[in-house]
Amino acid sequence: MGDKSGDLVQGTLDMLILKTLALEPMHGYGIAVRLEQMSKGVFRLNAGSLFVAFQRLQRDGLIRSEWKATENSRRAKYYALTEQGRKRLNSETREWGRQAAAIARILEAS
Amino acid sequence: MSLLRNMASGLRSLFRKEQVSQELDEELNGFLDMAAEEKMKQGMNRKEALRAVRLERGNLEVTKEVVRSASWESFVEGLWQDLRYGVRTLRKNPAFTAIIILTLALGIGANTAIFSVVYTVLLKALPYPQADRLVMVYENVHLPNYQNKHNTPSPGNFSDWMAQNTVFESMAAYSNRSFNVTGTGEPLRVEGERVSGEFFGSLQVNATLGRVFTAEEDRPSTSHVVVISDSLWRSRFASDLRVLGQKVFLDDQGYEVIGVMPPRFHFPDPDDQLWVPLALTPDELINRGSHYLDVFARLKLGVTLAQAQTEMNLIARRLTQLYPQSNTGQTVDVVPLQEDIAGPVRPALLVLVGAVTLVLVIVCANVANLLLARASVRYREIAVRLALGAGHARVARQLLTESVLLALLGCAVGVLLARWSLGALKFLAASNLPRTEEFGLSAPVLLFSMAISLTAGLVFGVSPALHAVRGNIQDTLKSGSRERAASSRLRTRSSLVVLETALGFVVVIGAGLLVRSFLRIEQVQLGFQPGGVLSFRVIPRGERYSQGAQRVVFYQQAIERLQALPGVQSAAAVTFIPLTLAKGRKGFTIEGRAPSGPGQIPIASYDIVTPTYFQTMQVPLLEGRDFSWSDSPQTQPVVIVNEAMAKRYWAGEDPLGKRFHQAGPDDKFPWMTIIGVVSDVREFSPTVAPEPTMYFPIAQFTYADAILRDWVVRTNGDPARVASSVRSVIRQVDKNLPVTRIRTMEEVRSLSLASQRMNLLLFGLFAVLALALATIGIYGVLAYNVAQRTREIGIRLALGADGNAVLRLVLRQGMRLAGLGVLLGFIGALALTRLMSGMIYGVSSTDPATFFGVATLLGFIAAAACYIPARRAMRVDPIVALRYE
Repeated sequence: MGDKSGDLVQGTLDMLILKTLALEPMHGYGIAVRLEQMSKGVFRLNAGSLFVAFQRLQRDGLIRSEWKATENSRRAKYYALTEQGRKRLNSETREWGRQAAAIARILEAS
Repeated sequence: MSLLRNMASGLRSLFRKEQVSQELDEELNGFLDMAAEEKMKQGMNRKEALRAVRLERGNLEVTKEVVRSASWESFVEGLWQDLRYGVRTLRKNPAFTAIIILTLALGIGANTAIFSVVYTVLLKALPYPQADRLVMVYENVHLPNYQNKHNTPSPGNFSDWMAQNTVFESMAAYSNRSFNVTGTGEPLRVEGERVSGEFFGSLQVNATLGRVFTAEEDRPSTSHVVVISDSLWRSRFASDLRVLGQKVFLDDQGYEVIGVMPPRFHFPDPDDQLWVPLALTPDELINRGSHYLDVFARLKLGVTLAQAQTEMNLIARRLTQLYPQSNTGQTVDVVPLQEDIAGPVRPALLVLVGAVTLVLVIVCANVANLLLARASVRYREIAVRLALGAGHARVARQLLTESVLLALLGCAVGVLLARWSLGALKFLAASNLPRTEEFGLSAPVLLFSMAISLTAGLVFGVSPALHAVRGNIQDTLKSGSRERAASSRLRTRSSLVVLETALGFVVVIGAGLLVRSFLRIEQVQLGFQPGGVLSFRVIPRGERYSQGAQRVVFYQQAIERLQALPGVQSAAAVTFIPLTLAKGRKGFTIEGRAPSGPGQIPIASYDIVTPTYFQTMQVPLLEGRDFSWSDSPQTQPVVIVNEAMAKRYWAGEDPLGKRFHQAGPDDKFPWMTIIGVVSDVREFSPTVAPEPTMYFPIAQFTYADAILRDWVVRTNGDPARVASSVRSVIRQVDKNLPVTRIRTMEEVRSLSLASQRMNLLLFGLFAVLALALATIGIYGVLAYNVAQRTREIGIRLALGADGNAVLRLVLRQGMRLAGLGVLLGFIGALALTRLMSGMIYGVSSTDPATFFGVATLLGFIAAAACYIPARRAMRVDPIVALRYE
């Protein structure tokens, strides 16, 4: 079923969620929609993968959560980056860039 | 940090499960709603929208499950569920549960108790700092006429070793000695040690009060000092802090107390109450003829045992060249202290461990058997759970959890049993195992107990769990294949019974060999009659007894008065009574015979006795006469030898009138004439064959070290009745001499068999346990089988089979299992009992009488166990049986 997160490199989902939250705190559905929009529909995530990732990130102390009202005055759990999460995002982004560039060079070389 | 947070979050969801699950519900519902609203904006109605979301994002319930099971606490939760379910199941069947727990408790308890002994004696470090660097140093003597790997060194060797070695940080010597303590209060005799200067330094233990000796104090002088034990300080000095500097009188000499050792400190013997300097004189320091010191040392840091051994042998070779008369055939044996203490008892302890492990295996087989029997009852329940979609692994895990739960409950009860039995074990082991005061349920012992319980739980749980989930569901629900499953279970149970019987046979054989050997020992001719004899210890030491002649007067006076007591036939004194593992040896030179090489004079055990000793102990005098008080320093020196000595050195001759003297040919000792030959006495212990022994008369043997310690009194009636009059006689002769170790010779004999008795009792206990379990196993399988075959038996009976034929059918089946078990056990025992050869006496480890006796016994017991189910089968009512299913 529409789950394409299986195509994601292991650990990449965590990085993408952190990136999404870097702009502002967001609830689960918001994160899912934002990921789809930003990837132009390439990543359509199933709820299971998303929420397992939230639980993991929260336990690792990279994000924190808080119940708040949405713009439609519905109660939802908002996730926000912690200081540690921000650092992790920066380091992972850098690392990703380095690796992607390296891979690209290898692929172009042939 | 993150691990902690993970734990905290996990624990929160464990303990506030409701709230956490509600939050997840709410969050996911919100997610679903928001997604659905988005779809509805695109024109779907709510129902369609929800369906689309589910398709896209996955089922909500499944998602919840996925999120939950992604965390570690879900595993714990499952386990918790299994445990609660297990407890419920076990409680539903209390009798069954109780039997299993009790069986396990017996097995685990026995193993825990034995392990606590093994751990203390064989594994635990000795209670001294860095005790692994402590070693005993012995003379290793191998001469044609005398071999002893652990000979106690002479003072001359000790001082040379100490001066020449480079491998030891320090080296010290000690020599056991008992002291009469007088001064304040009742006269008291305590065991103590004369120790050399570096004794406490080598052990690295200091006094808690005051100080230990200085090197200065380990020299002959007129001022004496003593270090006392904590317990003597408490009992004799009422824990008085002013004890330091006080004078105590040891054998009439004043000693100044300079230190009190820590509580529970003891070395070398747990009985030691005080330590005085050895203070060897310059003469003694070059003495190479008497070997009476115990020497130990502390290895330098980084020096291995092998290095120390090599260097000590080099030194020994040098000393042999320098002193061929005394040091020929001598090397050195360096033994770790722990090994020195544990080595002699290790083989027997390991055999006990083996036996008790077999018992545990039998227990496991028995419990597995019971669980399999119950599995037939629970079969439907399990089949239904499997049918409803429970995973096989999940059901197996549930069953295993139950087994482990049973094992842990068994462990708890078993540890209680072990705790109670440790008291008895300490008592049994007190005189034959070292370090009994340290026995206990320490942390490593409890861990061991837990570990074997968990292992046992898995071992006996695996087979029932596998049986329960094997085969597919439809098969299980159909009744025909249920029988097939039942027969596969029966096969497993039958093999378990064969295993139990085989292992039980091995254990019972072990016990049987010990019983046979104990009976043999009881029949051993000791060479004297212990019945009716009282023994006690009085050691005349001190100012008044410094001269041999003074001591002789004391012996003569005391013996005359003892013999005048009503009910006393005769009395005598001797260096050491028989069966107390104490015996001196002396070299001697026979008139007209030259030694075969340097240092190779013949050696024999010796005792110094008063007249009437042989009469009192009823040692038959074979030839010649006994000593009398008229044998004196002024008359011809005389000696009595035992039969073994007469045969060894005067074979085919009449030993009477032959002469020999102490020590080597060049030593100037007077010739002694043999005036009598007595029959052989088991001096050392009932299981050690008599050695050539010479007996010297005390009146002519007045050297400083010739002191008689033990006294014997032969009485008309119960020897214990004269104990108090014996005390008062000795008090009349000298009120400062304490009387200790008042025991009948029967008690001495019984004590000398303590280790055999302990092994026998423990093994006997294990054997009874093993036998009972094997019997229950055979009975259980047959009873089950008869119940299974009720219909078949009914048909047979209905078709006219004879009741006796049915009886034989069942009996045959049971006896086949038992017979196979006995056969396998027989082979196993033949292979294993060799390990017991050090524990048994007078029987071979493959003693045919024991093997066939035990096989017959087991056969009868198995037949009895078969008989009840067989009778039941015989009485099956065909009508009822055919209606059975």
